[in-house]
Amino acid sequence: MEEGKAEFDPSEIEYVSYGGEHHLPLIMNLVDQELSEPYSIFTYRYFVYLWPNLSFLAFHKGKCVGTVVCKMGDHRHTFRGYIAMLVVLSPYRGRGIATELVTRSIKVMMDSGCEEVTLEAEVTNKGALALYGRLGFIRAKRLFRYYLNGVDAFRLKLLFPRPETNYPESRIATRDEPPGLDDGMPPEENIVP
Amino acid sequence: MAYGLPLKADGDEKCLSILHAVEETVSRQLKACKAPLSKRRVIEDIEPLQTNLNLEEGFCRAVLCRLRFRKHFYHVLTCMRRPQGKGLELAKKHILSCLSELDSMLKSEELLRQNCACGTLENGVEDKTTASGCQPIGFDSMLNSRSAAPTPPRAIKLLSWKKAVNYFQKLLHDLEIICSYSLDPVYENALRFVVDFQKFQPDLVARAYIQLLLVQNGKLYGRETMFAVICKAALLPEGAKNHDIQKNETVAQLGQLLITLLRILCTNTAWQRRKLGKILQDWRIIYVQLELAFRKEFGDITSTSIEQNVCLKICKHILVWVEEQTYWIALRFLLLGFELELYSTSEYCMVYWYIYVILIKLAEKTHLKIMLGSDSSRRKSRKKRDFVKDVGKDYQIPPAVLLLQCYIYVAEGLMMMLASLRNENKSFLCVGPFNSEHERFIQHFELLQKACLPDLASYFSFRETTAHARFSTLSMYNCFKDAQRVAKELRGNFSNNPEKLAELRQIEQVAEHNSVALNLLSRLGALEPSLKISFEFTHHQHFAVAVVKRS
Repeated sequence: MEEGKAEFDPSEIEYVSYGGEHHLPLIMNLVDQELSEPYSIFTYRYFVYLWPNLSFLAFHKGKCVGTVVCKMGDHRHTFRGYIAMLVVLSPYRGRGIATELVTRSIKVMMDSGCEEVTLEAEVTNKGALALYGRLGFIRAKRLFRYYLNGVDAFRLKLLFPRPETNYPESRIATRDEPPGLDDGMPPEENIVP
Repeated sequence: MAYGLPLKADGDEKCLSILHAVEETVSRQLKACKAPLSKRRVIEDIEPLQTNLNLEEGFCRAVLCRLRFRKHFYHVLTCMRRPQGKGLELAKKHILSCLSELDSMLKSEELLRQNCACGTLENGVEDKTTASGCQPIGFDSMLNSRSAAPTPPRAIKLLSWKKAVNYFQKLLHDLEIICSYSLDPVYENALRFVVDFQKFQPDLVARAYIQLLLVQNGKLYGRETMFAVICKAALLPEGAKNHDIQKNETVAQLGQLLITLLRILCTNTAWQRRKLGKILQDWRIIYVQLELAFRKEFGDITSTSIEQNVCLKICKHILVWVEEQTYWIALRFLLLGFELELYSTSEYCMVYWYIYVILIKLAEKTHLKIMLGSDSSRRKSRKKRDFVKDVGKDYQIPPAVLLLQCYIYVAEGLMMMLASLRNENKSFLCVGPFNSEHERFIQHFELLQKACLPDLASYFSFRETTAHARFSTLSMYNCFKDAQRVAKELRGNFSNNPEKLAELRQIEQVAEHNSVALNLLSRLGALEPSLKISFEFTHHQHFAVAVVKRS
């Protein structure tokens, strides 16, 4: 268990897409170490074999410090992305690494035609809820005693804009103009690259 | 405490007889060890519970209170299952006995812990599943984790002994509330009871029992048919409940919807909210189906005056009541979002806007229902020519509608205050890299929009309402003041109702605090960027209070 906060510049963090079997132990070690419910190797392989382009790793000077593992597919007639695991080592938290990992995955989902993205998070996980809230997720449902320790979960959902429901003054990126002065650009063009 | 003890619903005599027998034996042992030495005699068929005779009395008492708790708890459960609430009074007595035995158990903890056979206990005694801290004999609480596969889901951690006792104390408290319920035949009061009961966060067992009590054999409390309940709730005369219209298939379906609603209201609030959202469309559909069914059977209701036909009166009352219930469900759905912490502060503006529009429709339908009911009773007692004069002269808005009006003012005030903060201070904006406020609106209100509740409510209308909100607008200030004024006037109407008075007090506090905050923001908001504004639910669980601080 590492103590204290790591000193680094955000530019020192290298983000890579899942590249193969050599990345699997790195992901497994991180998740086993940091998350409360470790998974079997079959679970990891299910995600990274079927959706390698949705998993990303963050490295600092050759050390794996964060990872995100996702999937996507049809769910009740909706093509949906799902964030299964998101971990950043404790000394590296609070510096935007998790946000960057998740953002990369969500972009791939969006480009792949997903209509929405979903995940579950413990109601007590303030950090995760704040992170996903900033990205546009809403708390769609509360799941009573979802976890075995009796804690409830939120089902978080991000709905991508649909072209047919484009309200003229919808705004996506942060702007300074008050509502009502939008230039009428469609939502897709406002997304930060 | 009751690990796997099988209790059959209808007379598990073996369970009780075993408990009786053991209790009898231990009672005799207790009597024997309490007797003075000179009078003590050896009773061959009684064995001491443990080897230290000085502690025998304490151990006997410890075992007895546990046995008696189980007996009384069994009686609580069986009495509460009796039909039509007939066993509730007796159940209350057993509940009191249970609580007394639980107190005795807690008192026995010290004796058992100090004299446990397992030696000195290490730290972590708080996690132990027995009062003594020793492992229970013949039972391994971690057995399920060893037999489970080494993959999630993991074994559930058992409650510690202390927490188990607390669990039963809470459960019994909740069951006592159910047993004290008067089985009020008035539908709104039954709804109110169930909604208020949820504030105690009752466990599954308590919720199951209240569901069992409310609906038995398709009737309210096993006594009143759903049609009779609906007629009463729709303010129809007493005789309406015997009308043949109840045989209509659509009317029967309405009864089923009502049963479903009552059952849903007994579930945990997370699940409840999801189900309430889903049944909104059912209630909208049933309204249309009822209208069609009534029209088919009785002709065009709107073009025939009510007095001419009792059937048409029933139809009209029921239709209005169905609409009122639909908006009540929609309101409950929205308000539960606050209880479940589903909304972020940046979404409060749109949520209060939706609550505002739903409340307006609810007040409208409630008012219409009451007017129809008053109309019926007035026409009975007065001659026709006096009716018009009376309506004009004596009419006062009913207190139930005025109470809704208070909430409308508060919701409007909050909506406009949040909109002004957004428009002028750029606070609580709904922005993100992947979507906008519009998508959040769609997601939060999807089920309401699908059910067209209300008609024409949309993101567009929300933006139109709030786009020009500014602190300087006086009407915003008047909203909270109006809420305070009406709430104060209503005190007289509810002087004999402590719950309603408490509710009015909450409204007044929310309105007062928000008035002060609004006044401050109007004067200082634009000039002091260091002001930090938050919204807290300190006075009401659904209506926030703005808190303004310097950062």
